[in-house]
Amino acid sequence: MLAWLLRRIAASLAIVFVTVSLTFFAIHLAPGRPFMPPDERPMNPIVVHRLEQIYGLDRPLAVQYVRYFGALARGEMGESFSQRRPVAHAIADAVPNTLLLTATALVIDFTLGILIGLFQAARARRRSDVALANVTLFFYSLPTFWLALVLQLVCALWLGWFPTGGPTDPVMHASLPLLGRLGDRLYHLVLPALTLGLVGAGGTARFQRAALLEALGHDYIRTARAKGLAESAVLVRHAWRDALLPVISLAGVALPFLLTGAVLIETVFSWPGLGKLAADAISARDYPLVLGTTLLATCAVVLGSLVADLLTVAADPRVRVTA
Amino acid sequence: MTAATIVALIAIAVWTGTVVAWCRRRPWGDAGRRFFRHPSATKGMVVLVFLATVALCAPLVTPFAPYQQILTLQDHPPTWLHPLGTDFIGRDVWSRLAYGARVSLGVGTLGMLVAVTLGGLVGAAAGYFRGWTDALLMRCVDIGLSIPRIFLVLAAIALWGKLGVGALTVLLGLTGWFATSRIVRAEVMSVRERPYTDAVRALGARPWWIVLRHVLPNSSAALIVSAALGIGNMMLLEAGLSFLGAGIRPPQPSWGNMIADGRDQLATAPWTTLFPGLAIALAVMALNATGDALRDALDPKTGGK
Amino acid sequence: MISTLVRSPRVAVLLPALLAALGGCKGQGGCTTEYCGTVVFAASGEPSSLLPAVSTQAIERDVFDQVFLKLADIGPDGGTFGDSGFTPELARSWEWTDPLTLTFHLDPRPRWQDGPPVTAADVAFTFDVYRDSIVGSQDREALAHIASVTATDSLTVVFKFRDRYPEMFYDATYHMRILPAHLLRNVARATWQTAPFGRAPIGAGPYRFVSWTPGQSIELAADSTYFLGRPHLRRLIWRFAGNLNNAVTMVLAGEADAVEVLVTPANIAKAKADSALTLYPYPGSTYNFVRFNLRANGDRSKPHPVFADPQTRRALVLALDRPQMVQAVFAGNAKIPPGPMPQLWSWLWKSQLTPAPFDTLEAVRLLRGRHLSFHLAVPSTSPTRVQYAQLLQEQYRRLGVTVVIDQVDNATLEQQLESGKFDAAMESFQTDPAPSSSVPALWSRSGPTNWGHYANDHFDALMKTAASAPTRAAAQAAWEQAFAALDQDPPCIILYALDNIAAVNRRVADVRIQPDSWWGLVRTWRIPPSQLTERDRAGR
Repeated sequence: MLAWLLRRIAASLAIVFVTVSLTFFAIHLAPGRPFMPPDERPMNPIVVHRLEQIYGLDRPLAVQYVRYFGALARGEMGESFSQRRPVAHAIADAVPNTLLLTATALVIDFTLGILIGLFQAARARRRSDVALANVTLFFYSLPTFWLALVLQLVCALWLGWFPTGGPTDPVMHASLPLLGRLGDRLYHLVLPALTLGLVGAGGTARFQRAALLEALGHDYIRTARAKGLAESAVLVRHAWRDALLPVISLAGVALPFLLTGAVLIETVFSWPGLGKLAADAISARDYPLVLGTTLLATCAVVLGSLVADLLTVAADPRVRVTA
Repeated sequence: MTAATIVALIAIAVWTGTVVAWCRRRPWGDAGRRFFRHPSATKGMVVLVFLATVALCAPLVTPFAPYQQILTLQDHPPTWLHPLGTDFIGRDVWSRLAYGARVSLGVGTLGMLVAVTLGGLVGAAAGYFRGWTDALLMRCVDIGLSIPRIFLVLAAIALWGKLGVGALTVLLGLTGWFATSRIVRAEVMSVRERPYTDAVRALGARPWWIVLRHVLPNSSAALIVSAALGIGNMMLLEAGLSFLGAGIRPPQPSWGNMIADGRDQLATAPWTTLFPGLAIALAVMALNATGDALRDALDPKTGGK
Repeated sequence: MISTLVRSPRVAVLLPALLAALGGCKGQGGCTTEYCGTVVFAASGEPSSLLPAVSTQAIERDVFDQVFLKLADIGPDGGTFGDSGFTPELARSWEWTDPLTLTFHLDPRPRWQDGPPVTAADVAFTFDVYRDSIVGSQDREALAHIASVTATDSLTVVFKFRDRYPEMFYDATYHMRILPAHLLRNVARATWQTAPFGRAPIGAGPYRFVSWTPGQSIELAADSTYFLGRPHLRRLIWRFAGNLNNAVTMVLAGEADAVEVLVTPANIAKAKADSALTLYPYPGSTYNFVRFNLRANGDRSKPHPVFADPQTRRALVLALDRPQMVQAVFAGNAKIPPGPMPQLWSWLWKSQLTPAPFDTLEAVRLLRGRHLSFHLAVPSTSPTRVQYAQLLQEQYRRLGVTVVIDQVDNATLEQQLESGKFDAAMESFQTDPAPSSSVPALWSRSGPTNWGHYANDHFDALMKTAASAPTRAAAQAAWEQAFAALDQDPPCIILYALDNIAAVNRRVADVRIQPDSWWGLVRTWRIPPSQLTERDRAGR
């Protein structure tokens, strides 16, 4: 077991290293240069050259590569060009915003999805099931950014029920009492989290329904029914326990999504999270920030899969760790 | 819409109905019957055939060229002549939608073909040969699966300066084969143990021949389902990339960049954003429904619910 | 249509207030006097650093112009000649002790926001920093004419110039924001680009920095002891909207109070229809053009097959119906300048110059039946420029000229320009109030941003004369001559110079927009107590 764990950790580190290296070369070889401000004053090339010297961009690529990984080994992620502060600070400011959004979205996703799936399985093949199947299919097939725009249009611009974006109201937030501040945050969280949650719930509901229907086909269910158990008890107490396991593994797969899955939503709702940070960094060719966010995202994915594997080994006694 | 385009659309609708009805009547066997018994299979097929035909016959069903600007009609709401309205430079949304179907469906399908081919070959090689090949290939798959979508945007921008739609398709394919390879690998590993594989090997056939001629066709169910469901994912990915500005570049229409173009006019001209999104949703819904039906049909264990 | 549906902007403001009320107390008392008021600016970008010496973006200038002061600012007429018409800020008075020496007498009242008084040593330190190549300031070259700045006592500064020219006073005062030496002296020059001071600046201006929430907003608070008069607006907040259209949407939805430019006719119409907004037109400081590359695409040693010939370029200028394009895209809210100039240089527009006419016959004659083809690089971020490019493409197509539009993102475009890998590029340039620095930078042979390698020595000589003209009348005549020399040998196609229209919430009174730095006069704005809203009353 320990040997397997060590090998997995080594493999994970290797994956992270390769990914960050690939990103390094891709961003440096991409057309476009950093230090180009977004508005209409072209930069004096002397100033640009000076900035390149300051950030070490005038050295050969291989030298920059070695320096970058050397600094990384010491725990320094460098300074962001577009934010002019350490990359670690920029990421530290962005991560909580993303986590808040995606965690809420995941809660909505799984709660709604599991309940709908349960309801559908209870009323399998009847009209409500078919109708819900179409609804979940629709939401599952929507492009998330389009749903975000539609919700923004209808709920924020036309009806004015919710703000058009941002995580808080910058004018009032500081002067509100604690409960008011929480309320303000929730108020701004509704639309973005709902967008992600609805699309995800569509998929989860389909998955849960399929898992439940499969579980209902097993022999022990027939035994339970033969014993005279009510249908709802059969469903909830027996089949659901079996069908919940695959859904939980789905949640495990969704863990990396916590950091990387909200790029488009964050862009639409001006949510200052990791996805928006990464997308903005790419268009600004802010090399250290791009590398920092890629590093973090890759670590999240790798860690998530490691945790998922560990959970599977722990939870399912049928799975054995091969040497 | 002009009379000619309405006639063309009706003709396409009739053609779609005929094709699907003909498909239903053909003797496809058990799997075919299970497929068509699925409630949304027929509807999915109808939508897909209709969209594909409209895409192919785009010049016939569109009264305007997709790049044609009518400057007096910028951001105009839907009218009889422009059934879906016009966009911010006065281009007909319906025409761009029809031509955009070519790009979106094309990139999705071809990208999926690349992904499925690559994934199939890699998965088959890993599953059949085992040992070092398997370990190496699966490590690559792990790396591929760890790469976040952001990197995809990155790679797109990195290559984007010089190449066109073809490059995007290949890029999407090259980054989308990882999950498929895992599925195929599992299938191949189980097929490998079957007696007829031993028999063919005993007859002296080359390993690659065995893989291509015997093993893969018997694992095709997984591939087909993966492909059908994968086109939808490819389309959503392309739309997202185009929305961020890293995919298909305007003025060439793609459903994703039409949404991006319309975003600034969201409050005043919502139709420019609404219709491309609905088109994507419709296409992906149809693909998912068809994929589901295929999966139920081809896998006798879960079929026939 | 639907935009007039029930949509209450107040809801977005009142709901958090409701939550606050539910939460218990409704903020401490609330501000109700003459000196209350919060103005929220919708910004299309986010600053990277608020340290003036290393700043490069307009949004940064918008913010730090409230925190830092210059020695003197240009007056309302925007004149840059001599030293009359300038408004004293940190300097109370000045005199020319000899033709090359300018002495400033500082006002003893201003203090840095952390306590100490502003002294001449700060001015000398600021000049040293701006001129230091290690710091890498954008304005370093603009200060090249000044040989030295010395503090003779705590309130007297002496500027020594290398040569005489009409804009000496302008150069001495416009570019530098005076920085606190006592806080920055010990910061290593090589680290100024990323100095933490840029994230929490301290100046001597009317507003103090309060907080910066990355990705969201920056807040400034009024300094009630400001020596030129307490600002009426208590708080200034910049909300980052990401791009211009989002910023305009924010203002229209009532989530922000002011935006500096509306650009599209649709936005202008929406703003006009919105009864909560007042529109303020002012001369814009940008002009848009299509730059020709006179050297071959990707190979500087060879002339460009299409654009090396001045007659071809003139033909391309004449072939465009620019007034019609302006009408189609801006509904007339832009003008066609007679040369590479924005509306900011209004005194130049009053001259005899007129833009080149729309003359397809002459264009066809000059083209001599050739069928040309070239690529036009357009930044993908601006829908108006994309529109323009497509109109241009269509007009040229009718004359047999094929234009291929390449939409690229900003960073790629800049790189293409710098490396000469383009045929023609659609650009926009934001100018300073003085043409003598903004015109040569782009269009003189040795100009640092002359990406198209335009070389017209006659024009260069005329520009030199114009730059050293002693009075505005002489300068006007000289620039006329210079721009007239561009007629037969155009370096670019001037497309338009925008009419800027700012939208500010109606409740704000005494709004004045400074054309070169639009929010520069915010310290004089006020909100009458009768117009205070919840947003204005809240806060400390």
